[in-house]
Amino acid sequence: MLNVLSRGARPSSFKVLSSLLLQLLFFITAAPLFAQDFYKGKTVTIIVGTKAGDAYDLYPRLMAEFLPKYIPGKPNMIVQNMPGAASMIAANNVYNIAKPDGLTLGAIYPALYFDQLSKKPEVRFDWSKFNFIGAPIVSNHLLYMRSDAPYKSVDDIKNATTPPKCGSNGTTSTGYWLPKLLEEVIGTKFDIVVGYQSGSDVDLAVERGEVQCRAFTITAWFAREPFITWRKTGFANVLFQTGSKRDARLKDPPTIYELMDKYKATPTGRRLTTVALASGDFGRPIVFGPKVPADRVKLFRDAFEKMIKDPIYLAEADKRKLEIDPIDGQRLQKIAQEVIAASPEVVERMKKLMGAE
Amino acid sequence: MLEAFISGFWQVLSWPAFGYLLVGIGIGFWVGLLPGIGGLATLALMLPFSYTIKTPIEAFCFLLGMLAVTGTTGDLTSILFGIPGESSSAALILDGYPMSKKGEAGRALGAAIMSSLLGATIGALSLAISIPIMRPLVLLFGSPELFIITLMGITFIGTLAGASLIKGLLAGGVGLMLASIGVDPQTGALRYTFGALYLWDGLDVTPVVVGMFAIPEIIDLAVRGTSISNAPKEKLKGVMEGVKDTFRHFWLVVRCSLIGVYFGVLPVLGANVAQWIAYGHAARGLKDKSRAGKGAVEGVLGPGAANNSTRGGDLIPTIAFGIPGSASMALLLGALLIVGLQPGPEMLKSRLDVTFAMVWILIISNIIVAGISFLILNHLAALTFIRGSLLIPFLLVLVFIGSFTANNSIYDLIVTVLFGTLGYCMLLNGWPRPPLVLGLILGKIGENYLWISTAAYGGKWLAFPSVLILIAITIAVVAYPTIKERRGRAKYDRPEDAV
Repeated sequence: MLNVLSRGARPSSFKVLSSLLLQLLFFITAAPLFAQDFYKGKTVTIIVGTKAGDAYDLYPRLMAEFLPKYIPGKPNMIVQNMPGAASMIAANNVYNIAKPDGLTLGAIYPALYFDQLSKKPEVRFDWSKFNFIGAPIVSNHLLYMRSDAPYKSVDDIKNATTPPKCGSNGTTSTGYWLPKLLEEVIGTKFDIVVGYQSGSDVDLAVERGEVQCRAFTITAWFAREPFITWRKTGFANVLFQTGSKRDARLKDPPTIYELMDKYKATPTGRRLTTVALASGDFGRPIVFGPKVPADRVKLFRDAFEKMIKDPIYLAEADKRKLEIDPIDGQRLQKIAQEVIAASPEVVERMKKLMGAE
Repeated sequence: MLEAFISGFWQVLSWPAFGYLLVGIGIGFWVGLLPGIGGLATLALMLPFSYTIKTPIEAFCFLLGMLAVTGTTGDLTSILFGIPGESSSAALILDGYPMSKKGEAGRALGAAIMSSLLGATIGALSLAISIPIMRPLVLLFGSPELFIITLMGITFIGTLAGASLIKGLLAGGVGLMLASIGVDPQTGALRYTFGALYLWDGLDVTPVVVGMFAIPEIIDLAVRGTSISNAPKEKLKGVMEGVKDTFRHFWLVVRCSLIGVYFGVLPVLGANVAQWIAYGHAARGLKDKSRAGKGAVEGVLGPGAANNSTRGGDLIPTIAFGIPGSASMALLLGALLIVGLQPGPEMLKSRLDVTFAMVWILIISNIIVAGISFLILNHLAALTFIRGSLLIPFLLVLVFIGSFTANNSIYDLIVTVLFGTLGYCMLLNGWPRPPLVLGLILGKIGENYLWISTAAYGGKWLAFPSVLILIAITIAVVAYPTIKERRGRAKYDRPEDAV
């Protein structure tokens, strides 16, 4: 070995090797440094798939104020609204058009993978290949029913001769697919009246007696009017909820899992439920496109973790009435892979849920 | 109740609430003037600033004050340049812009401002009066009733048709067809989207309206090679003339304001529809029908009053149920929650002062904006005497920025250009444009309510007493002018026959 060195005649394999080693060492130690330097003076854009002012817009706007604090180099962060097609325009953009340099985040709808599973040709992404950064809130759902309707429990609905009428503002909304899901897995019939302009219009229609029930998020049920009054006056009752266990504030209504046990749902039905309800776990996801360097993804995941625990952030969220119940990016990534790997049988039944058949 | 009424007034005028009101008005003033950039988008962007405001009334002075004036100043742009300042101001172009061309910009502006002020006041007072009966009032209209009201709106296509009824009906039909573009809300099926995600949500009204009305006027201005006003530049006057016009046609303004309130209360409908209905109502009342669209001041007064009075009506369901009557109300509702106020029944009991403060904000902000406008109206009207070639680049920039704000998409611009071209062809060949726009707006709403009614009640809804009454009213509204005209003609004909 020494010989080789002392001779020095051949710019030998050792030199090549050592320089390679040096380079490797340099890369290993410097990679995070690169990512850190990278963001200095840069601007990160969050592409939001809804119009300004939507609840899906409010969380990213809050994040744009706080997240940069935890990213080395403290980049600027701005929100750009790219509304349309239930945020699919934004998702397609983040996945395909945005440069994979870690400067473009997406804030998109959690149920977009339904469209991928039901093979809509407009879908230009693979849900499982998005780099999930995290979601500030996961959302479980419930179904409320006017208390003067003859359906006091899910049993009543199952035994009823005329099904209850639930209102919904579109076939992609929870108001549509959640009652459908129950119908699929335990056979309770619902008449779903679709076409209301917004969820609020459905609530008004329930007040009027035009429809009797609606499915939506547990958060909203406890956060705002008219539900605060409804709960006080007993105008409407919750018939079931979708969390894996009962919400602390909703002790009586059974979970969908309890219902599936009671009515002996088939294994396919159970898998369908898992796939459909995963959208609740995605909450309001923040994503990077697929080819963003892993170190930058990690940087953002870490920053997100820190931000979500920051008392100042939490205080500000509380002030803006934005509930925080976060889930981290790695877990979302895992769930995304699971739902996309759903069996063809589940996918077929999924299509039915989405009104595609 | 009187106590809350007075307390609301003083709270709006107290410091810093009044300061916030002025800031809101300042922003709303410019937003209204700029085409396309609507009150809604601005409200969304300004919402974070209200987080730092402490009391509900202060926050409302800022947000509602801003929203209240956008309708008024949007009218000014429509009149001066033929470009809708807000999509709810498009109907003012029909007679307002021809007035500018005749050199009567001052008069038109005076009429628009004064009718807006009157409309806003009537809207606000309706809000105040209806507080005790708010809840039953809102619950009165279910989907079947709303469907018939939409139908009534569609019959106004005939009134908006102008010279040729056939052309009007065809244009309206095209509008209805265009309304079916997008995701079908009942089954989720895609209709006429041609693989373009942009079309999933259907055609956005803003780029269509801006293109339809603004582009042809700009082309026309370029072709004519003159200033907007054809009349010689005399000493500008007429602003007071417009104010007087408002009082000459006082009852027309009141009726159109009530139309605005009514459409404001109804969910989904609102200023975008109310303006056309009010215009149709005003045009129908003209003794000399040929004046419509050629600069009749009534055509400015009607929609000017209606698009402002909707704000008051809009607030009714928001306050009564905590259920927003429109998208902008949904944002206001968000602001209410942030300042720690639950809209809904509480607003009619323990926080009645806040509700009345809203009434006052609507009135006071419109008085202030009318005051400011009167100071600068003559300068604004002078813009119509600037050479077209100097004005056109500026107008084009405004038009495209305005339509781009609809979805921040390049397709917004394409839609603007396409409908601009269509609008110009229609203008050249004497096809009326308003029926197309009304068809586009009402088509989707009507379809939804028809589906909902049928899904919820089967065929039974057709026999509801409320539905039957509304059908009767619709028929009366359609038939009355024709009968009146026939009768008038019969009287006129008889002596002729005798001769």
